[in-house]
Amino acid sequence: MNTLLSLTDNLQTFWHYTGFANAEAGHFIMILFGLVFIYLAITKEYEPLLLIPIGFGILVGNIPFNEAANLQVGIYEEGSVLNILYQGVVKGWYPPLIFLGIGAMTDFSALIANPKLILIGAAAQFGIFGAYIIALQMGFAPNEAGAIGIIGGADGPTAIFTTSKLAPHLLGAVAISAYSYMALVPVIQPPFMRLLTTKKERLIKMKIPRVVSQTEKVLFPIMGLLLTAFLVPSGLPLLGMLFFGNLLKESGVTRRLAETARGPLIDTITILLGFTVGASTQATTFLRMESIKVFAIGALSFVIATCTGILFVKIFNLILPKEKKINPLIGNAGVSAVPDAARISQTLGLEYDPSNYLLMHAMGPNVAGVIGSAVAAGILLGFLY
Amino acid sequence: MKQITYISLLFLAVLLSGCSSEKKNPAWVINEVMVVNETNFVDDFGQRNGWIEIYNNTAKTQNLGGRYLTNDRNNPKKYPIPRGDVLTSIKPHQHTLFWADNEPFNGTFHVNFKLDPTQDNYIALYENDGKTLLDEIVIPAGMLADQTYGYVQDGVKYDKNGSSIAMHLQRVTPSSNNAILEENPKVVNLRETDAFGGLLTITSMLVVFFALLALYLFFKLSGNLAKGMSQKKVAQSGTLSAARSQSHLSGEVLAAISAAINELREDQHDIESTILTINQVKRNYSPWSSKLQTLRKLPR
Repeated sequence: MNTLLSLTDNLQTFWHYTGFANAEAGHFIMILFGLVFIYLAITKEYEPLLLIPIGFGILVGNIPFNEAANLQVGIYEEGSVLNILYQGVVKGWYPPLIFLGIGAMTDFSALIANPKLILIGAAAQFGIFGAYIIALQMGFAPNEAGAIGIIGGADGPTAIFTTSKLAPHLLGAVAISAYSYMALVPVIQPPFMRLLTTKKERLIKMKIPRVVSQTEKVLFPIMGLLLTAFLVPSGLPLLGMLFFGNLLKESGVTRRLAETARGPLIDTITILLGFTVGASTQATTFLRMESIKVFAIGALSFVIATCTGILFVKIFNLILPKEKKINPLIGNAGVSAVPDAARISQTLGLEYDPSNYLLMHAMGPNVAGVIGSAVAAGILLGFLY
Repeated sequence: MKQITYISLLFLAVLLSGCSSEKKNPAWVINEVMVVNETNFVDDFGQRNGWIEIYNNTAKTQNLGGRYLTNDRNNPKKYPIPRGDVLTSIKPHQHTLFWADNEPFNGTFHVNFKLDPTQDNYIALYENDGKTLLDEIVIPAGMLADQTYGYVQDGVKYDKNGSSIAMHLQRVTPSSNNAILEENPKVVNLRETDAFGGLLTITSMLVVFFALLALYLFFKLSGNLAKGMSQKKVAQSGTLSAARSQSHLSGEVLAAISAAINELREDQHDIESTILTINQVKRNYSPWSSKLQTLRKLPR
């Protein structure tokens, strides 16, 4: 009889440690989110390299466990394996490493060949500050509003880096929001691109960009760093690594380093970043009204960024000579979701004129958006950190 | 050449405008000093004495070991701070306290001089060489008991004009921050002055535009320069590209013209479109039929 009782006790104790005993409704909601991410990545191929690690991270982060038992398994438990991996997000050293890889894989030729496209990348950053104003009006503190606003930059690493400094408690919500909307760029942008352009504007054919010399390509990262980082030193970790990676690519003498930066290194960091960001969305800390507001403002920031990019091109066209007019369909690419935003310009351009290839033109504002959002992040950190 | 001059001048102007003439706060700051301690902080020996708080004004851990504290302008090496004590390693933006009790054998943080309330007290911190001054402060005579003299904000020694802003402090805060910040002052300031967020938005957008405009201008000018140079080079070579460089026709138009000329030159067909003309091509030798080409070694 005693043996039976102790067996029951043991089973009861074991039950208290299981996920079933500790589960709350929130955990299941978050697991559902994770599954949706994985579904979108596999079936729709929306940013699979990000959504798979994030989606699976959400599943891992939302397996309920007995938090009081100090098992050191949760991402927020100091010393746990997940917590150690999460330090790269919390301390903000994953994003600059991602930027190193982005720099090493980005060809800035389109931008150098037609430098006026850089300005579209600047205009689209209004998405960040428009969202900042909205967040302030919704009752967020200025530092929180800055962290939420950066979603509008459409740049995951930048958003994580800025939020880890300005409002670490919003990190999960901001990161998930930024990556979700980046994946949904093909859904969010086209309606606004159609709405804000006339048929005549969509048919504008742009001149083929000139060939850029190797000297100009090498000069770009050096001058880019000096001109932007002197102005906004707080963006140095991002800008420095971006341009450094690009110099590795363009110098022509560091091929092995460039290949590592744009290959194994960025892949490793993407896995760690995506997975830990996903795992940080533990229902107990993530499912709050605040997170829903962040999601709503995030969506608006993408819309604002898309619209301001397009409207800027339309205004810019008023002062440009006829043969140099820009197709406003590339205005959306001012957000830095590389290369998805540029691909959308191409798809829409071909829809209206099968001989109008906009991809190479759209890559200009697209990569300018990366620089612009890093500069904007630096400004926010300068004002609010 | 003119463009290079413009670019150089632009950069020079930017660099010169960026050179700050503002006085910088030192890396170590003598942050707060108490001359007469009657009812205040007690040391490990249960005694009350005057104290000197030193602040690490950098974002890195610094070690005070081997440096010198003095109250004598003519003797910079008066109290050598012992090396090898882990407690002299001060974390970023943190403090440590030295007791001015003239009891150096009581430990690392007990200096060999006392402070005198009846006269000005000069206190200085010197670098390991005993010559380089790290920071100095003069505490005015007549300090009251349990009153401190120092800086309201930790490590902020100068105002915008470069004048020292040392003063009698309202609160005595040994080994802790002189100014207790409950919230980020920048955030508080923004909440008060820019509740709508418009000011920050306009400022930020201006900065973003300025940064990218600088890039635009640079690459516009360097692009024109590169284009000019390559056109010159190509024009000298006398090729088809030279024609392109000298004309304003687009690449596609030139390609179409070239294709048409080529077709005209090699046109061997009759005018009738339905007749196929076969011209014999004389080829006496072809490597395909050469046995020599298929041999790896010559036969002996």
